[in-house]
Amino acid sequence: MSTAHPAVLTADHARVVYNEDTDRPVEAVRDITLELHRGEILALVGPSGCGKTTLFNAIAGLIPLQGGQVTVGGTKVEQATGHVGYMLQKDLLLPWRSVIDNITLGLEIRGCPRAEARVKAQDLIDRYGLSGFERSKPSGLSGGMRQRAALMRTLAFNPDVILLDEPFSALDFQTRILLQADVKRIIREEGRSVILITHDIGEAISMANRIVVLTNRPATVKSIYETPWGVEDVDPVAVRDRPEYQQLFSTIWQELELTPRH
Amino acid sequence: MSMAADINSQPAATPRPTRRSGLGEAMRIRAYQMGVLLVIIAFWQVGLWAGWLKPFIYGTPLGVLQSFAAQLADGSLLRHFWVTGQEVVLGFVIGCALGSAGGLLLWLSPLWARILHPYMIALNGVPKIALAPLIIVWFGLGMESKIAIASIITFIVAFLQAYKGTQEIDPDLIRLMKSLGASPWQTFRTIVVPGSLPWIVSALRLNVGFALIGAVVGEYISAEAGLGYMVYYAGQLYDLNSVWVGIFSLMIMALLLEAIVARLERYLDLEH
Repeated sequence: MSTAHPAVLTADHARVVYNEDTDRPVEAVRDITLELHRGEILALVGPSGCGKTTLFNAIAGLIPLQGGQVTVGGTKVEQATGHVGYMLQKDLLLPWRSVIDNITLGLEIRGCPRAEARVKAQDLIDRYGLSGFERSKPSGLSGGMRQRAALMRTLAFNPDVILLDEPFSALDFQTRILLQADVKRIIREEGRSVILITHDIGEAISMANRIVVLTNRPATVKSIYETPWGVEDVDPVAVRDRPEYQQLFSTIWQELELTPRH
Repeated sequence: MSMAADINSQPAATPRPTRRSGLGEAMRIRAYQMGVLLVIIAFWQVGLWAGWLKPFIYGTPLGVLQSFAAQLADGSLLRHFWVTGQEVVLGFVIGCALGSAGGLLLWLSPLWARILHPYMIALNGVPKIALAPLIIVWFGLGMESKIAIASIITFIVAFLQAYKGTQEIDPDLIRLMKSLGASPWQTFRTIVVPGSLPWIVSALRLNVGFALIGAVVGEYISAEAGLGYMVYYAGQLYDLNSVWVGIFSLMIMALLLEAIVARLERYLDLEH
């Protein structure tokens, strides 16, 4: 299957070390090699503090690599250029802007004319259920709606790759499950390529095509699993009842070496 | 639409509370406020009648009223009010504008922020009014020196607050802007300036008081007109009634300026 899809992102022996010049360097990411295929959702799971977010920052071009390389769309990542869209646990909506003006932020930075940006944003708003809230300030929205607005902001400027850094972990359980289904559907419909960081194994299995299990810090790739449903469009809620889900869950659970840290 | 959308479509925040009871409540509060003033004046007067307070040291309500009427009639009160008003407003506007702009722009240069850090701490700690005699020497006895004192004090406060505002912005927001490929100037315009506005406005509120202190203390030190000059001069002559007229006039000026800043705050719609 890997050969059928061109890779939109590659990491080739990527290595990140903090404070390299000092006598106490911290190796956050040791050796990551992976490929993200076009239209795929790839989940990264690993123990907390294993360097997942560091890897994201490197992919976004926010911090330099000390070894190896990352390419996005065939181009080596040297600095932040807007090639990736970022979505974090915090929605990071600007409280002084209306929902629609938040969604156009990325387009605005790229110099897209205001009217055109608004048309694109309005289209996303209409299709993904925020109609009627265009002019609201983010404070008037629920947590789930805010995260959806944040996703639209990410989709609007059409980045090659979307990075989701635990985007659901601040939400209550019910909202989280429903939003997972929603986000998965939106990403599939839009045909986007996504890397999802999560420590929630269930979330990884129900949303992703493939799951990369990382080791403890410094991060390396421990193993890669394909979910049994691949690109098949399955409901992330219903899928939790399938035996394959349970099976994969316990396999990954054991892989994670969740040793208690005292 | 999916079930998810339905669940998520409920806005979390309750609508902004409107003024609950409107006009009736507002009138009642006003009445009580007047009542408090009357009680204070009544105690004052009773104290004088009973002999607990000496008119020579405390003035009398009636005397204050007479002094007020006399100074209003001969135009001196308005002249003093006008002089101090100009000093305060000009000093406030110059100091707040330059200070806020400077504090914001410092965000663009972390290097200069680090260089200036000890100076900012020193300026923050020093009683700013201690600079007044120097400024009088530099700018002379006229209105210019009072404007300068008010400007410099409000500048310091506005500068420090604006800079602090830029430092309180969520680093993840800056990171988001960088990941979008935004230039520092774009991040500055889009995130830093609007994100620091609440701090800048809170500095405006503080600076109403500081501008008044600056102008009045400047007038105490040396001046030819102004409410501070008037209060100081009357105090020297033990004309306590005139001192009160001056103090009440300053309070009215403070209330007026506060009201203007409050209006500006509402215009900027800072309650998100």
